[in-house]
Amino acid sequence: MLTYSRWRRTLEAVSIPIAALIFSLFLFGLFCAAAGANPFAVYGAIYKAAFGSWFAFQNTLIRAAPLMLTSLCTALPARLGLVIIGNEGALVMGGIAAVAAGLSVADFAPPIVVQLAMAIAGIIAGGLWIGAVGALRHYRAVNETISSLLMNYIAIALLNHLVGGPMRDPSSLNKPSTFPIPDIDKLGTIPFTRVHYGLLYGIVVCIIAYYLIQRTTFGFAARTAGGNVKAARIAGLPVGKLTIAICFLAGSSAGLAGMVEVAAVHGRANESLNANYGYAGILVAFIARHNPIAASVVAILLGGILASGSILQRQLGLPDATVYVFQGLVFLVVLYSESLYGRFAIFKEPDVVTPPTSSAPLAG
Amino acid sequence: MKPAVKTIEMKELTLPPELEVVNMTKQFGQLIALDNVSLTLKPGTFHALLGENGAGKSTLVKCVMGFYKPTSGEVRFNQQVQAIDSPRDAQKHGIGMVYQHFTSVPAMTVAENLVLCRYESAALIDWKAEYEVLNAFMATAPFKLPLSVPVAQLAAGEKQKLEILKQLYLKSKILILDEPTSVLTPGEADEVLGLIREEVVAGHLSVLLISHKFREVTAFVDEITILRKGKFAGSGRVKDLTIADMAEMMMGEKRIPQTVQKTLHPDPAPVLQIQAIHANKDNGLEAVSGVDLTVNSGEIVGIAGISGNGQRELVEVLAGQRTATDGQVLVNGEVYRASRTEMFQHRVFVLPEEPLKNACVPHMSVAENLALRTFDRPPQSKGWVLLFKPIREAAQSLIKTFNIKTPSPETPISNLSGGNVQRTVLARELSSDHINLLIAANPCFGLDFAAVDYIHSEILEARNRGVAVLLVSEDLDELLKLSDRILVISEGKFAYESSIAEADFASIGRSMAGH
Amino acid sequence: MATEALGWWGVPLGIMAGMLRGSAPFLFVSLGECLTEKSGKVNLGLEGTLLTGAMSAYAVSYLSEKTVGSAIAPWLGVLVAGLAGMVLGFIHAWLSQQPKVNDVAVGIAMIIFGSGIAFFFGKPFIQPSAPQLPAFELGAWSNIPQIQSALKVSPLLMVGVLIAPLMAWFFKSTRWGLFIRAVGDSPDAALAMGISIKKVRMLCIIAGSFLAGIGGAYLSLYYPGSWTERISSGQGLMAVALVIFARWNPIQCLWASLLFGGAQSIGPALQAVGIEGGYYLFNASPYILTLLIMIITCSPKKTLTGAPGALGTLT
Repeated sequence: MLTYSRWRRTLEAVSIPIAALIFSLFLFGLFCAAAGANPFAVYGAIYKAAFGSWFAFQNTLIRAAPLMLTSLCTALPARLGLVIIGNEGALVMGGIAAVAAGLSVADFAPPIVVQLAMAIAGIIAGGLWIGAVGALRHYRAVNETISSLLMNYIAIALLNHLVGGPMRDPSSLNKPSTFPIPDIDKLGTIPFTRVHYGLLYGIVVCIIAYYLIQRTTFGFAARTAGGNVKAARIAGLPVGKLTIAICFLAGSSAGLAGMVEVAAVHGRANESLNANYGYAGILVAFIARHNPIAASVVAILLGGILASGSILQRQLGLPDATVYVFQGLVFLVVLYSESLYGRFAIFKEPDVVTPPTSSAPLAG
Repeated sequence: MKPAVKTIEMKELTLPPELEVVNMTKQFGQLIALDNVSLTLKPGTFHALLGENGAGKSTLVKCVMGFYKPTSGEVRFNQQVQAIDSPRDAQKHGIGMVYQHFTSVPAMTVAENLVLCRYESAALIDWKAEYEVLNAFMATAPFKLPLSVPVAQLAAGEKQKLEILKQLYLKSKILILDEPTSVLTPGEADEVLGLIREEVVAGHLSVLLISHKFREVTAFVDEITILRKGKFAGSGRVKDLTIADMAEMMMGEKRIPQTVQKTLHPDPAPVLQIQAIHANKDNGLEAVSGVDLTVNSGEIVGIAGISGNGQRELVEVLAGQRTATDGQVLVNGEVYRASRTEMFQHRVFVLPEEPLKNACVPHMSVAENLALRTFDRPPQSKGWVLLFKPIREAAQSLIKTFNIKTPSPETPISNLSGGNVQRTVLARELSSDHINLLIAANPCFGLDFAAVDYIHSEILEARNRGVAVLLVSEDLDELLKLSDRILVISEGKFAYESSIAEADFASIGRSMAGH
Repeated sequence: MATEALGWWGVPLGIMAGMLRGSAPFLFVSLGECLTEKSGKVNLGLEGTLLTGAMSAYAVSYLSEKTVGSAIAPWLGVLVAGLAGMVLGFIHAWLSQQPKVNDVAVGIAMIIFGSGIAFFFGKPFIQPSAPQLPAFELGAWSNIPQIQSALKVSPLLMVGVLIAPLMAWFFKSTRWGLFIRAVGDSPDAALAMGISIKKVRMLCIIAGSFLAGIGGAYLSLYYPGSWTERISSGQGLMAVALVIFARWNPIQCLWASLLFGGAQSIGPALQAVGIEGGYYLFNASPYILTLLIMIITCSPKKTLTGAPGALGTLT
């Protein structure tokens, strides 16, 4: 009986998003056909660019790494009922802090310490950035969506300010940047691949986040507060502390993504940090319905789609923005699918036969 | 523009029609909510409809207003049978209803709300003309409101006046007022009812007032009709009746507290001490104004009162859902702020009203909801790690003991019936064998007799084990049956206190009514 | 250069010029958002609408130049931008009123979708130059070129300035305006009056998106006056904050837009007189300003004055 009921709900939770993905693929095909491209050629090109070869798949994984981390910035607070979209800002702040920390210890510390310092700095900076959003929410009732959005712009301005002035490497002419992290201190690649260790960070953090939410007392408390604040208060749970803590963790994940981008990809902080991984992370979180494990899988799918942009342009003459259209369609269809949960009889638990009220005194 | 002008010109001195409700019955499935009730609202009278919760008062007026279609029976205006199929029909016959909750748009001004409530008005609003009409209307209206002030800035009493003004503006001749004073202070209530009474005396209006405040009834009302359990229980002229008569008709024959198995607790010690607690309502007005109370071990203290007199806020403060603005709560002699540690240390448990809304997480499973108090303690967790096996086993055992009907412990609790949700909360809050303090608010609301007996016996058993129980209820019978001591809360203060042996039914009723 | 001749006077002048030039997109988007939010829904997707509007206006102006001439073509572009906005608005309105669907999330999706559509179809129009909207030369009396260029005012800005009081009048003095406010503030009361909440919100969101589309047309056809993928610096997103700042009042949306347009040009104006230090930080001033205002005015104990009551609830 136990497994039976779980089976149905799991099936619903898996089949509705998959159906949504398939339907958005179909809509996207229609869109491409209307734009004069052969939909099947487009599907084929995306598949090839994303997963078609080991080379392509590694590209996909490199893009998936920051997405896994930024998606948590939306997914974790969502369990508390908050919509936070400050992923981009937290990523940027994490990147800046990582560079600052890396540069300040690089002269005397061994690479492992430099990397650790960068990671910790990224985590703390991102965490404080979104933690502030949580604190504003709790203490001043400032809408967390809007404040986190504004903080994105502030973070990007801060980045531009720092790389253009106080932290600028005078030798970076066309694209103002900070001094580079010494190559020896950069994140290496996983053996036998071109994929950097950031992917491992992403997967490990997603697993930790899942474990934290589903399997720890902290996660239980957070889910309770997210489901019903009144019930949480009646159980004496500290709702304000939970809000700030979850926001801190969310921001620190995105901050770590910034560190990964700096330490593994760019080697320095400049405007390339602001590469829309934050906004794509929001999409990942929503498609994954804020489940961190699902987010890591969705991040790989979306990383593949992002990686296919240039191929679509080269092979089919479609603008690279095609992938944004696709992302937008997926997002819209996935949101619509939210309204479908519980609508299909097949996923419903069969009702237990309730005996007449005389034998069930409490069945009011 | 033009229609508004007519509104005022039509306000001539014609008496409102006589409204008769004849042999009305309304059945919801098996339940007979209203059983063959008749009522006559004579032109130009102030008539009250009295009865306890669930006596059928709102069913009756909703049938008259066209919200419900009665199973049988009819409505007559001046001896003419009329079918009323919708509130709009009722409006056509000049009946308007004022609800318990406000139906004005808070961000709009008084004038805008008045204009908006007209079913027919022009697409463009000529405010100059409208204001002239509205000012003329206000000049003749029983109470004055500033036209250009947003409703959100009005006090509760003024908002309620606006609701009534709307009906006058719509030329309603018969007003049905559904507990219009439940949100007002006694002063405001007297003012509003007094001014309406003047309109009634002048022959402009007939009023049907739903109330359970005897004070208002004796002060303003001409005639009453009393319902009990869906049936007609009596009627008469107010000046011929005493409050005791009315209370007796409302509640049935005078009731002697039922004797129950109570064991005397050897050495009672104070468990809960409430000291000068103040708390506000959601809208910032004070709801609890400085109450003091001590509940000893092995004692049930009952708090009676009409809803809206601060008892909900008091319970929320004790349950940790609301912050007190002043005063403190002690449990076992220590300051208690309803943190999780304190709850555990002092073993405080709560049975709130509306358990799905107040004490459950709807989309979480029955097992998780059962674990809400214990998930962070061994054996259900080890350090930070949740242990699912003990959680599920504990749930299975509670589901069995408390006879919760659920497909599985993993089913979301919102899929369960109301009674089973209540059982789940009961299981969570009463299963612990070392409860020290139990706070219960209307624990039996909406349940059938068998369920009520079950909960009562659980509460009594807890008391006999030495638990201190604070029981807040709107059901006087329940309180008289269970309590060792009874208090009445009225307007945020305790208005009456007595041991159950010396409790006087009539004085309790009067204190509840604010006397 | 003449900047030197003007000296420090160049700063206020530059800010004022920026105000007149840069505030129109803020104005149109915030009026659109204001209308939407008055009905109780949030449209965070106006950023996408703005981009789609900018792209379609530019494209239509470019493509129709040969048939209708360069005087009419940009105005045709403006109209099409509005219509394109309405299409996106319809999607948002329909989707955000489905059960269990969060309007904020839909807005984020619409940002991605709208900008995707704009970039997709806008690719071929990045290079060619389209006929631009005309401007009124209000500075012709002066012989200082800075003043002349600062006082160039787009007719579209004037339209926006007219729409603000018009919308305020609409909310106050028409039956429909009262309906919208009732729906946004107290859906229960509106329902009791027999107003269809869905219909009112649908129309408001579509009309609001029309305005946002026109704001986009201003970007590509007047200032900065070309179509690039970076043409909007988040004006669409800012609209949400701006409306909060303006307390859901169309007239105050006008002042707020001027303020934000001015704040936006503090950086460039200071740069023009040689202060480059905090260029980017000054550019962030509208965002910092908004955040500070929200921190000061919000309170956990009461709701914001002027906020439609149904905003942010799933009704």
